[in-house]
Amino acid sequence: MINSSSTSKPAMEDSTSAPESRKPVSNAPEAANPAPAFRSRNLSIFYSNKPAIKDVTLDVPSRKVTAIIGPSGCGKSTFLRALNRMHELVPHTRVEGEVLFEGQNLYAPNLDPTLVRRRIGMVFQKSNPFPTMSIADNVLVGLRLNGVRNRKVLNERLEKSLRQAALWDEVKHDLGKPGISLSGGQQQRLCIARAIAVEPEVLLMDEPASALDPIATMKVEELIRELCAKYTIVIVTHNMQQASRVSDYTAFFFLGNLVEFDGTDRLFSNPKERQTEDYITGRFG
Amino acid sequence: MTVRSRHILKDFESALELLRANVLMMASLTDRSLQNAMTCLLDRQSRNGALTIADEEEVDALEKTVDGQGINILLRFQPVAFDLRQVISAMKLSGNLERIADQAVKIAERSQSLNRRPELEEVSALGPIFLEAITLFRDSIRAYGDNDVALARSILPRDKELDEMNRQITRDLTSCMSSNPSRITDYVHLLFIARYMERIGDHAKNIGEDAVYAAEAKDIRHPTNVLVS
Repeated sequence: MINSSSTSKPAMEDSTSAPESRKPVSNAPEAANPAPAFRSRNLSIFYSNKPAIKDVTLDVPSRKVTAIIGPSGCGKSTFLRALNRMHELVPHTRVEGEVLFEGQNLYAPNLDPTLVRRRIGMVFQKSNPFPTMSIADNVLVGLRLNGVRNRKVLNERLEKSLRQAALWDEVKHDLGKPGISLSGGQQQRLCIARAIAVEPEVLLMDEPASALDPIATMKVEELIRELCAKYTIVIVTHNMQQASRVSDYTAFFFLGNLVEFDGTDRLFSNPKERQTEDYITGRFG
Repeated sequence: MTVRSRHILKDFESALELLRANVLMMASLTDRSLQNAMTCLLDRQSRNGALTIADEEEVDALEKTVDGQGINILLRFQPVAFDLRQVISAMKLSGNLERIADQAVKIAERSQSLNRRPELEEVSALGPIFLEAITLFRDSIRAYGDNDVALARSILPRDKELDEMNRQITRDLTSCMSSNPSRITDYVHLLFIARYMERIGDHAKNIGEDAVYAAEAKDIRHPTNVLVS
């Protein structure tokens, strides 16, 4: 195993070491050197003293899509959850190293994890709308928990979030219907609308399309490409074609180590590490 | 040369092996066509020229087979990295091989025309050019087959030497035309044959470039073009 911190260059430390990003989807000029949203430094996470990720040093570029790939148990979901401290919901968890979010250490002792999670939204593998709530209430629940009561503000945010989630046209006449009455793909986009309604800066997605049919998957992927103009997106996926389609950067994890991090185009066409090539070409194990 | 472990999907591994085998079969047939065209010209063996012409159909069919297999692999397995480069380079190689086989046929046809006429002393002057073109072709195939990047990179400067040999023979044959106008048609045949050999060198260079891409993911085409990033 090659040590991650010695082989993988932090994405944005300097202009010469930054991996190539794919061409932007729009024609808008790409920022020459986007600042990282997250900087993980020598991050290790242990579940009951068993390391899930080891000494991971990685910069997650801002307003880009970063995919995390790797076989089951490699630590990719743990790394994702470490970016908003969701892994702490698992008992007997221990963290070494640090994660800086816009310069602030997420693991500082006095930091409230719920405040972190307001700025860093998450979408899970299985869509999970609140079953007793309507479509509108599902979208607005986060805002209401944050104390927003102004009807005009709520209505505006409801439409804006559903539009951003590419769901507005499909549900605008059915906002009072239960969220679980929607199809699987629509439910997942509803969850994305719920996540972006509180206007986070980051969206973490843990296999957001793995339970969806191909058309619903494409809609979610298209949505990811549109959302990355406004949000930093980190997506865990087992689907390498999906990683190559939607992401600007890709990180490959194996046995808790970050093996390689590079621009997606480069990692999928000419990976530097043999382990990466073996994995993405299906010569693994 | 890096030894790669086998793919988890046996069908994918088999499809890649079959694709490669068909490209190498095409190369072998093309090599035979070139040799037959050469003996047709230099040894006045018109029958060998007929063999070159007969082989063309098989090369053409293999080109379509390779393209079809490549498209099938892209559709079914969505290869990436080294595997993707193997498929792309195989499909590009097949196009170049088909063009080389075409050049061999044209050489054979013009050689057969020459063989129906009295022997021309200047024909032998094309021997070294033919030999260099065939050597370039064989080296390009060896570079592809063995992932030999150094050999592949050596082809570009050698192709320039072949170009210079072609320019020299063109000058010589042009002066022969003025000194021996009764054989002007035959000299035109020789000029075209020299031009076909020069084209074979160009295709060998393309194959060498594809071999570098397949092995190293480096695009070495058009190195002096400022518009190429």
